[in-house]
Amino acid sequence: MTIQLQDLAACFEGVIPSIIATAAPDGMPNISYLSHVVLVDDERVALSNQFFSKTAANVRANPVAAVLIVTPRDGAQYQLDVTFDQSLDSGDLFDDMAVHLRATSTQMGMGGIMRLRGVDIYRVRAVRAVPSPATAVAEPSPAASLPLAAVAAATRRISEAVEVSSIVDAVLDGLHKFSHAMLLLKDPTCQRLVTIGSRGYGRSGIGSEVPVGEGVIGTAASERRPVRVSDMSRLRRFGSAVQASSSDENRTRTIALPGIPDAMSQVALPMVVHGVLRGVLFLESSKRLAFTKEDEAGLAIVAAHAAAALALAESEAGEGQPVMQPAQNNLVTRGQPFRVVHYAYDDSVFIDNEYLIKGVPGRLLTHLLRIHLREGRTEFTNREIRLSDELRLPDIKDNLETRLLLLRRRLEEKAAPVQLLRIGRGRVRLELTAPAILEEAAN
Amino acid sequence: MLINPDLAAFMTSPVMIILGTRDDALVPEIARAVGAIVRPEQGCVDLIASEWQWPKTVANIRANGRLSVTFARPSDYVSYQVKGHAAVTPASAEHVALAAQYMDRMAAALADLGLEKRITAPWLVDRDPVTLRLAVQEVFVQTPGAKAGQLIERDQ
Repeated sequence: MTIQLQDLAACFEGVIPSIIATAAPDGMPNISYLSHVVLVDDERVALSNQFFSKTAANVRANPVAAVLIVTPRDGAQYQLDVTFDQSLDSGDLFDDMAVHLRATSTQMGMGGIMRLRGVDIYRVRAVRAVPSPATAVAEPSPAASLPLAAVAAATRRISEAVEVSSIVDAVLDGLHKFSHAMLLLKDPTCQRLVTIGSRGYGRSGIGSEVPVGEGVIGTAASERRPVRVSDMSRLRRFGSAVQASSSDENRTRTIALPGIPDAMSQVALPMVVHGVLRGVLFLESSKRLAFTKEDEAGLAIVAAHAAAALALAESEAGEGQPVMQPAQNNLVTRGQPFRVVHYAYDDSVFIDNEYLIKGVPGRLLTHLLRIHLREGRTEFTNREIRLSDELRLPDIKDNLETRLLLLRRRLEEKAAPVQLLRIGRGRVRLELTAPAILEEAAN
Repeated sequence: MLINPDLAAFMTSPVMIILGTRDDALVPEIARAVGAIVRPEQGCVDLIASEWQWPKTVANIRANGRLSVTFARPSDYVSYQVKGHAAVTPASAEHVALAAQYMDRMAAALADLGLEKRITAPWLVDRDPVTLRLAVQEVFVQTPGAKAGQLIERDQ
């Protein structure tokens, strides 16, 4: 039976190290482990070239080589008889491999060392199964977890959603086959991504941040390419505290990124529309090889679709009709008052000494509460928020919905005595269960 | 060539052992060994390999003797490559016993890294064992990083 390279797709997931043997013109062989072998097509494989310099030198003098690859599911070994074809230092394939290497090596603390010099393309002359007492049959790759029909169903759900909040939910609900997922949106005023929704984690992590360029999520953002890792066991977990408590939040004014401590597989998909990065869709699993190449392709479609829907929702959010609230005073006077403290220097907000949020969403809440206390009003329009001099909103006109959503979800998660409701196109309402006392703190 | 005691200790610890040979047309071949015995004063390493699993490698050594061996520790990638001339001899009882011991220790070390025995079994095979007696001529650092490929010792 002839073995096709495509049947061995799982061998190229980077779980079990591959091996390459070459021979120098003087006849001395060389044998080395490889960090990364990629399946290019039915006849070719690509090898990353960082430091196995003897291998690179040998194949330029004597192009025949042998590559041993291993199926991660059953350990079956295959030797590929290959011939060096060419070396690439640019192009899509090079970029894909460079991004993967960078994402995984920054996590190992080897960012500077693991620089991709080139990608060497080899033509495969023959595939031979290595005899084994245990297994002798090539196991076909499993079917993708996310078939095209599931991608269609997920995108349909997203298409039906009309505002930012329901789009975020549609994306995450549409990926229910996967155990852990989160959606992060790029803050247009800085190089950070903010978690706006998640599924499967002990705590939602809404409001947690990832710097662009850091780890799997940040690299997918900075490079605008999918990053997929199939075996994290040798990589350090990105981010710091996986199980950060809220007392840490109060001290650091930072919400920790949710995560599973024993993550083995991760995939991050950039969300780009109109050439602009909107965010990152991220999934992880405690299983090795949880995401296939097909999953990555399907998830990339979902991420791109979500980016377009979110951009449209922001631009069509509308300004809201002028508030037609009855003239009566809606100021809440009953109940045990709660204290809201706003720190101007970073716009962080604490409610009854519990950290809530900082930045623009913190400023928004302070602003709405101030008007409420002054005028007794609880309903507001996007238009008046946008035009407010007091708010000093950054000149980003298509991001208000996202910031309001972030604030709303964080208030929900903290079960705060003040909640924010979206009551129609471009309109929100504050709901207070008790009177608020607003304080400005100097630092 | 003398083999220093640290290197000898490393080569006989639970490290993966991979073999590179080539035929008379300089076509390379890959194999694995299941255990090593170092004779430092003779500059020799005896490697046990399954001729049943790796017939072409054994045939290549019988034909031309050229052999390169990389020893790699799976937990931290520390690796060394030795190169030289080898001869194929029948595996002695000592070698057979050593191979069994190596396979147990290696399977346990890999299991510690999360690789079940079911998966590693095809890499640890001693059916029809032979001994490859390698006279070491060169030793290289192979650990990934700036020093990879650096020659640390050569037979004068």
